[in-house]
Amino acid sequence: MIKVDKLFKQFGNNEVLTDISIEINKGEVVSIIGPSGSGKSTFLRCINLLEKPTSGTVSVADQVMTAPKTNVTKAREKIGMVFQHFHLFPHLTVLENLTYAPMKVRGLKKAEANEKGLQLLERVGLADKEKAYPSSLSGGQKQRVAIARALAMEPDLMLFDEPTSALDPEMVKEVLDVMKDLAHTGMTMLVVTHEMGFAREVADRVLFLDEGRLVETGEPNAFFTDPQTERAKDFLAKIL
Amino acid sequence: MNLDFSQIVPYIPFILEGIWVTLQFVLVSILLGFLLGTVLALFKISNIKLLKWPADFYTSIFRGTPLILQLAIIYLATPQLTGYDISPFLSAVLAFGLNSSAYVSEIIRAGISAVDRGQTEAAIALGIPYRPMMKDIILPQAMKNILPALMNEFITLTKESALVSTIGYVDLMRRAQITSSRLYSYFEPLMFVAIIYWLMVMVLTLLGGWVERRMKESD
Repeated sequence: MIKVDKLFKQFGNNEVLTDISIEINKGEVVSIIGPSGSGKSTFLRCINLLEKPTSGTVSVADQVMTAPKTNVTKAREKIGMVFQHFHLFPHLTVLENLTYAPMKVRGLKKAEANEKGLQLLERVGLADKEKAYPSSLSGGQKQRVAIARALAMEPDLMLFDEPTSALDPEMVKEVLDVMKDLAHTGMTMLVVTHEMGFAREVADRVLFLDEGRLVETGEPNAFFTDPQTERAKDFLAKIL
Repeated sequence: MNLDFSQIVPYIPFILEGIWVTLQFVLVSILLGFLLGTVLALFKISNIKLLKWPADFYTSIFRGTPLILQLAIIYLATPQLTGYDISPFLSAVLAFGLNSSAYVSEIIRAGISAVDRGQTEAAIALGIPYRPMMKDIILPQAMKNILPALMNEFITLTKESALVSTIGYVDLMRRAQITSSRLYSYFEPLMFVAIIYWLMVMVLTLLGGWVERRMKESD
């Protein structure tokens, strides 16, 4: 599903990603962890080209995102993304947030988009909020709407950039529950997270980044109980 | 003091007609200024230097010279340069519209930059192309933030419209002057149109407040 080959990313003279290569299979749930500033978010943003890699290739579903000829805007339709700070459209109602892109980009009829949107709201437990504006929602509700908004485009892949980091502690669970449900449907997911519980419980694989390098990858249980590298050991010792 | 407001009574219909004459070109100018200003603002935030530089230069010219001079150049110099006998109405619309667009473009540019960068990213990530993203996601949010500044610009334009009296456009101001010269009396007609200008601005202010409240519904 995703193939990253020799990915480098620099901001000015600052190298934030160094020589990252990884393949991720369809239906896999992958957690990306590491200290802050390790390049986790930048790596994620290189997948849908919100950040343009300095060199290397990124392919999603057999399409080379980094190739100059690729219609990146079109390719992004199939890559959902959820942000730390939600970024819901504040001037649209919850339902309009879900239906805008499907109607505008995929050409769905309004009735069709509404029906689909309501189903998704039901799925994230917010069917009663369709007419509300984002400002009236709690953080956890906003993030669930954001997930539903991304799903409304029927993506093949979902990227989560620290989806629970901006939430009050009591709201983390409701968002993680939605993500767990999504993982069980077979969605391919890339999740940058500080929630080690989620990484351990739900992920099929953990990527550990440090100082822009992919230091260690592994199956979660093995990684958390018996990390192979010193840096991963240090990191886990600090947070667990 | 020999104030006599009753002497302007015969001239009231003549002066009141000026309201529509003034409003006519003010409305067209506001519209032209707003549309052109939006386009200029989009040029200014663009990465393409060929769009950005002319837009910046345009703004610099129209903000850097007096409006009354721009009006005079358009009305008086156009026939000399092109032979086209430009009407006072068209001159007024062009001068005020072009001038206003320079100010409006700065207001809108600031408004767009003030919209959270995350909104753009969310739209991009959903695969929304640039045009609908700007039209439906970014500009509506920018407009909400800049409405007070925009309203201010429209009010300024409405008042400054009195400058067209200098090119023989028979607007409210000009009608007050004509009445004055007939009556050999200045205070009464000038006071009368002062009140009319103030009322027009009040209507604009109330309208702005109403629009602002409507846009706040999503807060």
